[in-house]
Amino acid sequence: MALNSTNALYARRRWRNKFATALSIGAAGFGLTWLVLILLVLVIKGVGGLSLAVFTEMTPPPGGAGGLLNPIIGSLILTVIAVVLGTPLGILAGTYMAEYGRYSKLTMVVRFINDILLSAPSIVIGLFVYEIMVAQMGHFSAWAGAVALAIIVIPVVVRTTEDMLLLVPNTLREASAALGLPQWVVIRDVAYRAARAGIITGILLAIARITGETAPLLFTALNNQFFSWDLNAPMASLPVVIFQFALSPYDDWQQLAWTGALLITVTVLGLSILARVLSSKKVAQ
Amino acid sequence: MTSLAIHTEVKEQASAPATETGEKFEEKVSVRNLNFFYGDFRGLADVNVNLYKNKVTAFIGPSGCGKSTLLRVLNRIYDLYPNQRAEGEVLLDGENILSPAQDVNLLRAKVGMVFQKPTPFPMTIYENIAFGVRLYEKLSKSELDGRVEVALQRSAIWDEVKDKLDASGLSLSGGQQQRLCIARTVAIRPEVILLDEPCSALDPISTAKIEELIDVLKKDYTIAIVTHNMQQAARTSDYTAFMYLGELVEFDETSKIFTNPKEQRTQDYITGRFG
Repeated sequence: MALNSTNALYARRRWRNKFATALSIGAAGFGLTWLVLILLVLVIKGVGGLSLAVFTEMTPPPGGAGGLLNPIIGSLILTVIAVVLGTPLGILAGTYMAEYGRYSKLTMVVRFINDILLSAPSIVIGLFVYEIMVAQMGHFSAWAGAVALAIIVIPVVVRTTEDMLLLVPNTLREASAALGLPQWVVIRDVAYRAARAGIITGILLAIARITGETAPLLFTALNNQFFSWDLNAPMASLPVVIFQFALSPYDDWQQLAWTGALLITVTVLGLSILARVLSSKKVAQ
Repeated sequence: MTSLAIHTEVKEQASAPATETGEKFEEKVSVRNLNFFYGDFRGLADVNVNLYKNKVTAFIGPSGCGKSTLLRVLNRIYDLYPNQRAEGEVLLDGENILSPAQDVNLLRAKVGMVFQKPTPFPMTIYENIAFGVRLYEKLSKSELDGRVEVALQRSAIWDEVKDKLDASGLSLSGGQQQRLCIARTVAIRPEVILLDEPCSALDPISTAKIEELIDVLKKDYTIAIVTHNMQQAARTSDYTAFMYLGELVEFDETSKIFTNPKEQRTQDYITGRFG
């Protein structure tokens, strides 16, 4: 029997293919529509409030003029401390899992627990840090906020570090070992080098993740109407200020919330794009 | 130690006959009753073979016969993986390298290895060579420069890379990358060089260059080469070992193996009847 378009079996398969393609495109379009709408509303509502004052003035009392300087700086401080605390821990743990303990039972256990931590609701992490730090110290503090964020950073960095190191071909490790290089030199000078872009991508994604976190900060760093460098005192942060201002009945506070939301979104978007660009050259070989 | 030797089977081990020409060769590496296991699977069965100083020994045989496995025992690279273990003795200058007391990093600096796929490190051409050297010797900048140049010259790649030592090792062609890997191995001044199918990913021109290189290198090193290419074994080696299903079937001078093998299985393999 000749194969042609009148072949019933083939015609039906072709129709099914078209139907499935249409379904997939429809679903993708549906999802994308909402994303575009969200971004659009954010830009429309947020851009109006953008001015120099946003970056130079403190959060105002209701009805007064002001900006978002203290939450912007607060968010930066919290993020930097969280990354400084969480990244080395994450990279070291990921290195153990991919290099030293690749075949050990401990690695399987750690990977499993890390995956749970990765998807743990951030409010649980906030409550945990509240219990172990805020309740013990007797007051909210920037330290507690940074630790809560660091706990979110760790599993992301562990996961990406392990994955990226596992992508480094074993032939490269064998070639290094064959020169008589001890394992730690192989890891430091060959494996890290080959996986560098991927590991940095992981750190960027972790930063993007904590940039918008509100729940863990509510119970830890709380908020601060004033500018503060004191890490033992409550500290303002963009997500918490947005949360507070957006729920308020005051128009100027709501406007600042929109603007803050726009700032966070643009930051996260920028970090994600940077991560994308870097991960396109994940492993150097 | 012994006056040279052709071990075809375990029993002949102690009484190796001299070659026809009466030449005496020094045993650089001597493998004694070696068994190798991947978990429960026995990859090598009672292998006995010698590598003679400043000679090239080729290992031939069908895929999976244990040639590469044997090579990977000689520098204990298999140690990187759990569930792989070797039993028996491998003597390097009379010392058993399989003993737990052996420092594997020092062993690997003495017994270099070049792999089937070129594996330049993700760093510059210069660093690819200097990296390993620095680990064992404290050299001044000019001494190190000299060492890198000599290594690249000996590996017949200097002329092609001398103007771009700062370029990434990954930017070279496959054949150049493989010669870079040989240069890297040569630079740390090993005594034995193991070549695991070094030309299988290369074009005929690069292959010819590497074969010439082997001929030059054997003046200073003891070389073992695993190859699927029978002509390559015949061209480059002084001794040839034929392996089959984890056993060493026959080991003799290359000319004998290819013209007048003792074993039927060797005969069948080199004439292409199986494998």
